[in-house]
Amino acid sequence: MKQGLGRALLRLFAVQGSYNYERMLGLGVGVAEEPLLRDLDDGKYRPAVARGAHFFNAHPYLVGLAVGAAARAEHEGTPPDQIERLREALCGPLGSLGDRLVWAGWLPFLSGSALVAVALAAGWGAVAAFLIVYNIGHVALRWWALHAGWTHGIRVSTALHHPVLHKATALLGPAMAFAVGLALPLSARYLAAPFPRWGQLGAVVTAGVAFLLLRWRGDRLSGLRVALGLAAVALVVGWVWP
Amino acid sequence: MALLVWGTLVGVDLVSLPQMMIARPIVAGTVTGAILGDIPTGLKLGLMFELLQYDILPVGAVRYPEYGPATVAAVATAHASAGVLGLGLGALVGLVTAMVGGVTINELRRLNSRIVHAATSTLESGDPRALMRLHVGGVLRDALRAALVTAFGLFLAWLARPLLAGPLSARDAIVLAVAAVASALAAGAAGTLRLVGKGPKLGWFAAGLGGGLLVAVWLR
Repeated sequence: MKQGLGRALLRLFAVQGSYNYERMLGLGVGVAEEPLLRDLDDGKYRPAVARGAHFFNAHPYLVGLAVGAAARAEHEGTPPDQIERLREALCGPLGSLGDRLVWAGWLPFLSGSALVAVALAAGWGAVAAFLIVYNIGHVALRWWALHAGWTHGIRVSTALHHPVLHKATALLGPAMAFAVGLALPLSARYLAAPFPRWGQLGAVVTAGVAFLLLRWRGDRLSGLRVALGLAAVALVVGWVWP
Repeated sequence: MALLVWGTLVGVDLVSLPQMMIARPIVAGTVTGAILGDIPTGLKLGLMFELLQYDILPVGAVRYPEYGPATVAAVATAHASAGVLGLGLGALVGLVTAMVGGVTINELRRLNSRIVHAATSTLESGDPRALMRLHVGGVLRDALRAALVTAFGLFLAWLARPLLAGPLSARDAIVLAVAAVASALAAGAAGTLRLVGKGPKLGWFAAGLGGGLLVAVWLR
């Protein structure tokens, strides 16, 4: 089964490869689960593969929990409707935990730290360090998720209460907020360094106005729209300013 | 050619494979700079687009711009036009490429949905080879999409210099760069505040911001 877990782990790296609005990550989950189902009898193998590819949506790094748990449940002869319910029940918690832990924690914390280092002239080494440290956590989380799912099977919810996960989430939130807060003024200084005095002042005032716009109409405006709008205004200003 | 390959890898990394964050602008930009022999420009544009990336939280089926290949195109533009002019022009090319990239991601997902829907009976039969074929097809379509977005961005980069660099005065270039930097800072701050919320993390954000301001003033 070690070989099956290794194959499943490798396939999990491409779990979003066929992302679609009908089954979301379902096909990727089915593909990742398939190596763990090969020991099943002929009569059980194909229905299990078909079930594995049903609708599924969660954080991609934690999908392994569902893959391992569902595969284990198939091996233990758990009734199909119970496996379907297990998959459905895991979508929300895995999505929520992964978003808080990775998208709103680990990733912006390390990215903000990298921006601070780059703004303080650390150069490409800071970017390399970001990539290495981030992926140590990334790969470890994917492996832990798959292993925990396979170990706990239908009782996988116990793995979600692992104290390390909760401690990491509690620590990474404030760390992320501090790191990105630190990065913003230093990035402003780094980016605006080549501007003349009026340009630096203009950048601060324009950033303030754009920030208020994004806070006020965040439901309609995005950073991209504001940036494109400001770039268009800048081109027009340059054109009409004698 | 190297930029096209790198931009494609960056585009595929965003969603499909392996999500190791080479799609983050700070990484995509730095490596593009290294390919072009101009790491400082790669770092600068990478940092600017990384701030814009904070505006995005990729949860559920949310639609978002694609800043990875956009940063590749932005650095290619900036490398061809020196100084502040490069920063402004690079940002402009990158922003348009990011918008187009975002549209293509949505269209690809819709296409994948149609293909998966059409294959429902095959999928329900539990044929592992059919499942694998459909999945690999999705990855290959994403690779093609990423290559096309990168090619579009590099084409814009090639066009930007003769079309915009000539008519723009030094002052116009500064105004454009100021707009780009200001919007990146605003998007970075607004996006982070959405993550931070109104709880205790807000205090940590304020502490970081204050510390950053102090260091920035101290380094002047």
